[in-house]
Amino acid sequence: MLLRIEKGSAVPISRQIGGQIAMLCASGKLPPGERLPSVRELARELAVNQNTILRVYERLVSDGLLEMRHGQGTYVSLSAQNHSLAVHRQYLLEEIRQLARQGISLGLSSDQLHELLSEALQQLAVSNEEEAKI
Amino acid sequence: MNRLAIDLHNVHKSFRRTKVLRGMSLKVERGRTFAFLGRNGSGKTTTIRMLLGLLNQDLGAVRVLDHDPAFEPLAVRASVGYLAEDQTMYGWMRAGEILRFMAPFYPTWDHDLALKYARDFEVPMQTKIKHLSKGQNVRLGLVLALAHRPELVILDDPALGLDPIMRKQFNRDLITHLQGEGRTVFYSSHLLYEVESVADEVAILDDGQILRQSGTEELRADVKQIILNHNAVSTLTDSAKVLDQRPDADDMAVVVVGAESAIEHLRNEGVQHRVVDLNLDEIFEAYVMGQGSDPSPEPAPEMIPTEA
Repeated sequence: MLLRIEKGSAVPISRQIGGQIAMLCASGKLPPGERLPSVRELARELAVNQNTILRVYERLVSDGLLEMRHGQGTYVSLSAQNHSLAVHRQYLLEEIRQLARQGISLGLSSDQLHELLSEALQQLAVSNEEEAKI
Repeated sequence: MNRLAIDLHNVHKSFRRTKVLRGMSLKVERGRTFAFLGRNGSGKTTTIRMLLGLLNQDLGAVRVLDHDPAFEPLAVRASVGYLAEDQTMYGWMRAGEILRFMAPFYPTWDHDLALKYARDFEVPMQTKIKHLSKGQNVRLGLVLALAHRPELVILDDPALGLDPIMRKQFNRDLITHLQGEGRTVFYSSHLLYEVESVADEVAILDDGQILRQSGTEELRADVKQIILNHNAVSTLTDSAKVLDQRPDADDMAVVVVGAESAIEHLRNEGVQHRVVDLNLDEIFEAYVMGQGSDPSPEPAPEMIPTEA
């Protein structure tokens, strides 16, 4: 499990870690049933306070993404993908809202913003096709 | 046993006419990793020297692991590991020699552990101390501070001479060897972004007083910047403690304490606003520059550049 922490960011470290684990669950890179590193291991690897990691795990458990099996460790829950979608919807909405705000302050209309989003989706579709060819 | 490892109450200290500490109070629970933040000259080192009984307070109470360092300095030092800011060691000794030299001073000295740390920290054992680099010097000091398995570790700006790789390694050691074993760590630092990932709790010291003591995450949730129209600023300043405010075109960017209730208040009042999360550096700056004291907004016209 590869996580990247940006120090000095305005996003608190716990949220960075939580967001990235949720992302890995959503994308299937952390499949349901997969065992996560122990709190100690991850704390050591990332050089982050153990209590921070513990809090992240506990929150993801209450979000339904992870489950703690007593004495065995922490696992990706079987219904993680459904849950992570819901969690991610929240993150994404926030990001899109920020972008929309920027657009509005530049004087763009709602239609123009939608146009930009369609254009971005189109570009992604094209680059995906190119990747598929390789 | 007291649940507090460090308990300072209303401590004052002056050097001649210079007041360094003026009514400082601070509590550190056992098992916590505590970062002590302050600018140069804010009183960090004075406080730390007091914790070790190297200085006595003029007024107030100091307790370290249930001892008064002024009267029982040896009891304190036996269970405290200390790394000074400008740790000086006998330059003519080799690193290996100073480890053997220090061992008999501590009944709980673990020489195998000392050798292990020296290896982990890549301290060359055969080199004379005066020929060690600054980073190696700090790491040797750390070995000396940790080898007697102290219950409380006090580090005065340990990351100062370390490069980014060593800092990460140091943080890692702190987490596995000290946090992992339930020991209390009290360290001062300027490198706030290094502190955030490691510290359970932080205290901001300025001008001899603690401006804020709080859990690291709680602090970040509690102090935020709110951007809103000039005309609406009073709605905010009436209901929340303001640390800092600066104009931003038609808007005002206000740093508040108690962000959650302030935001709720604005929402109830129907005031348009935007919330910006701050990093630890920005929070520190807001406390220290804004002094965190005067909630009545006093716009400082001389601060606004007027040159055309």
